Amino acid sequence: MMPKHSSEAAPGNVRWDDVVDATLVQSSVMPVVQRWRDRGRPASDVRVHVRLFGALASVAAEQALDLVVAKPATVAAVVAALGERLGEAFLARVIDESGAKQRCCRLFVAGAPIEDLRTPIDTDSIEIEMILLVAIEGG
Amino acid sequence: MNMINVVNTAARAIDDVWLPSSCSLCYGTCSILAHRVDGVVVKIEGNPESAVGKGRLCGKGVSGIMTHYDPNRLTHPLRRTNPKKGLNEDPQWKEISWDEALDEISAVLKQVRAEDPRKLVVQRTTTVTASRVPFQTFAAAFGTPNFSVSGGGQHCGNGAHLISGIMHASWSIVPDFEYCNYAIYFGASKGHAAGHASCSNMGKAADARARGMKMVVVDPICNFAAAKATEWVPLRVGTDAALALAMCNVMVNELGIYDGAYLQAKTNAPYLIGPDKLYVRDPGNKEPLVWDTRSHCARPFNEVAAADMALEGEFNVDGTLCRPSFHCLRDHLRKFTPEWAEEISTIGSATIRRLAKEFGTEARVGSTIVVDGVTLPYRPVAAIAFRGSQGHMNSVYNFYAVDLLNHLVGAADVVGSCLGFNPACHGHPDTGKMRYIPSAGPDGLMVTGMWMGYHYPYPPSEPRLPTNLGLQDLFVLGMTSPFLDSTDREDMWQRFDVPYRPEVMVNFGANLIMSIANKETVAASLAKYKFMVSFDLFLTETSSFADIVLPDCSYLQSLDSRSNFPFIFSLPAGTGEWCWPIRQPVLPPDGEQRNCADVLLEIADRVGFRADLNAAYNASLNIQAPHRLEGETRYSYAQICDAELKNNFGDERGLDWFKENGLVKWKKTPAEVYWRPFVDVRVPIYWEFMLPIGNKIAAIAEPRGLKIPMEYYQPMPDFLPCTSHCCKKSDFDFYAFYYRDIVHTNSFTMENPWLDEAARLDPFSYTIAINAAQARKRELHDGQLVWIESEAGRKVKGRLKLTEAIHPEGIGIAAMCGHWSDGMPVAKGKGVFFNELLELDWDHVSPVNNNLDLCAKVRIVPVEAAP
Repeated sequence: MMPKHSSEAAPGNVRWDDVVDATLVQSSVMPVVQRWRDRGRPASDVRVHVRLFGALASVAAEQALDLVVAKPATVAAVVAALGERLGEAFLARVIDESGAKQRCCRLFVAGAPIEDLRTPIDTDSIEIEMILLVAIEGG
Repeated sequence: MNMINVVNTAARAIDDVWLPSSCSLCYGTCSILAHRVDGVVVKIEGNPESAVGKGRLCGKGVSGIMTHYDPNRLTHPLRRTNPKKGLNEDPQWKEISWDEALDEISAVLKQVRAEDPRKLVVQRTTTVTASRVPFQTFAAAFGTPNFSVSGGGQHCGNGAHLISGIMHASWSIVPDFEYCNYAIYFGASKGHAAGHASCSNMGKAADARARGMKMVVVDPICNFAAAKATEWVPLRVGTDAALALAMCNVMVNELGIYDGAYLQAKTNAPYLIGPDKLYVRDPGNKEPLVWDTRSHCARPFNEVAAADMALEGEFNVDGTLCRPSFHCLRDHLRKFTPEWAEEISTIGSATIRRLAKEFGTEARVGSTIVVDGVTLPYRPVAAIAFRGSQGHMNSVYNFYAVDLLNHLVGAADVVGSCLGFNPACHGHPDTGKMRYIPSAGPDGLMVTGMWMGYHYPYPPSEPRLPTNLGLQDLFVLGMTSPFLDSTDREDMWQRFDVPYRPEVMVNFGANLIMSIANKETVAASLAKYKFMVSFDLFLTETSSFADIVLPDCSYLQSLDSRSNFPFIFSLPAGTGEWCWPIRQPVLPPDGEQRNCADVLLEIADRVGFRADLNAAYNASLNIQAPHRLEGETRYSYAQICDAELKNNFGDERGLDWFKENGLVKWKKTPAEVYWRPFVDVRVPIYWEFMLPIGNKIAAIAEPRGLKIPMEYYQPMPDFLPCTSHCCKKSDFDFYAFYYRDIVHTNSFTMENPWLDEAARLDPFSYTIAINAAQARKRELHDGQLVWIESEAGRKVKGRLKLTEAIHPEGIGIAAMCGHWSDGMPVAKGKGVFFNELLELDWDHVSPVNNNLDLCAKVRIVPVEAAP
């Protein structure tokens, strides 16, 4: 059988890693909290307003919480503070055993989605929204 | 492009327009143009401007007009007056107002949400892809994890999608029709009027065949795909893994064909495996080790050049004897000889060897090709699988074994090969939105960039004592669960101390009493709900169990801002364009019909969780400032769609722009379509994670009396028989299976008179296909009325259709016919209800992904003498 593009095909022993030009694909990591950096005066703590939705609010029995975490702060520090306040049942829905964010937990810092809990928070006050988004599909 | 062409073509015409929108006769969701004249839709065609269908529309799509105008459509909310629920109970419907309906629904939901929101089960059909977001967000905002898609997931989703996710970062797989020269289909019909991106794939597959692509179809029945194929290979139902593994063995061990460079650079083939079947890890950073042939020592995989990684050999690492996983796989494959596979599958060993040689040779290992100026690996072969091969107890290994054929020769997401549906998108050129790319996760293995299920395919979640009714938090490789309806569901919930029970169901269009398994089992489950509300177009067999039925709008009356997103679902794979069409109302509602998405918003307002729902929409649609939905603001669904569109495409491209223009599209680049060489991720040809997952599940389940069969949790695939293969009853000598008829979608379209007419003209749609020679041996005749009876004593009645085009042991039935509801009079009494033959319990599901076993060993009992 003749391939459609036989004239272009070049049989040989070309390695996969020889044809890679990684510059064609850039990192997908988003500079999530960059835009809030350098706003406000320096402070030793970050004030965090957390809004919980759906099942997380049910577990927590409160929908809005105010926390204070020490600088330098990360989203992980906020989650840890939430865990201390709301308990293991809450924490188990947000992070897995390795400490990574559960995939079904969507977390927004000042409206921007966060996947990596190590994301730094470089501002004096910030709002975080959290919801469990259980998805399923078939077909 | 301006699709709206308002022209008064006749003196009497008030309007005469072609409106761009999206089909909804199946989940393919092809782009359409609806021709409306004086307020009546007179014709539906494919939209040539769209990449989704490219102007093509199948028989179902053009017939949608008859579904919309069906006089049996619901036009008023209904409430049952008969409190008894059962298969033979008349609900004794009475019409009620929307206020009455929503008052009652809201009162029930408010109480349940206060008690325990998990008591709510949200169920929806997969036919209407657009319903995913409104119902997913409603469930999330309400606070229940109990979400299901009925039979759509249990019959095909759990195996095909999860494994496509692990190996291709996508929902499904398909040949790269433009460049593929040799495609082998295992129980799949991609490109033959069914499934994801169906109309696009039909065109692509036809062009590929005309170009000379050889297509081999492995299937118990020769119908839609096999009839177009170069070669049909009939096999015993459910034995696909045996054939695929034997082909792998021939390629690797007899012919020595494999792509070593690919295996080194893009898979875990070099990872060293110890005697415990697990990776040998670096004691410091815990990364899997490989054997560095340059320095002659074991080093972490991410510190060694791929070309220096050993694929074979036995090595001593700190006193542990270990081998690369490819070496383990190669040895493992040796037992799957063609002669062994012939016994299992009935396919001759010579045929198996020939197929393996053809596939391996056509792969052209080591070749490259230039596409749009970019040099890329060229592997013009593809092995694909779908519902037929993986709808079995052995779901995981069947699919895994088929896909191994691709990975052994490097035919994965490169030119001509097996492609995932759009696993990598660099985003819209103006806004950068919709950007997703697979990334490297634990052990360097691929994490998909986009997904739609309970769990990401990889890394698997940690099994834990389940709190979901479907037990997905224990069976972490499962998706849609049988345990919402199974005969042993209460036993399961007690066994695992699930602290609540389902009490309320919100259903959207799913006819689950027909779409999962035998009706008695599902009916018993439905009857136990204290309250059920169902959004429906017609009174289906399932809506007769509802307390309140709400009259939904048809797709011609509905709005949806993302007909074909996520792109991993039903946007065509391969080269071409990214395309984002919308669905828009072409006609107003009739009577008191209301769109379900707006009704859900009103229910949230009445129950008092609008802020949660706004947050859920923000999360689900990834809406960011300044378009985020705020606080408790009462947005309409149109406003939410507008926010999503502006968020994704800029303020100038909101809902009004899309209503006028229909869609936005932009060109795919080679680095997106053939992404795998460009992204530093590996996929597992050796599923090392399976053993620990199995052990952890067993550690939870076995102390509670549920035995986990560990043979299903091994790192390399095997052939494991279905329950039907183990049947020893002497007169049960056929394997009954169902197939998807191309003129019908699930149980939904049987009510469409044009499609019903087409089905009645087709000699197979409403009959029972049986091998002619086998029938004659038993003195069975064409047209004879027979019972098909399962081992468990369940039976269905139908007329035989004798054919040469079915495996001698097969009984083929088109799914899902046999309606009995008076609310669907066109469909009522037509065809054979195959699912009645299926059991629904732990013994009949894959113990790994909980996919339902969809074959049954049966006998044939004549109802009447031969005609």
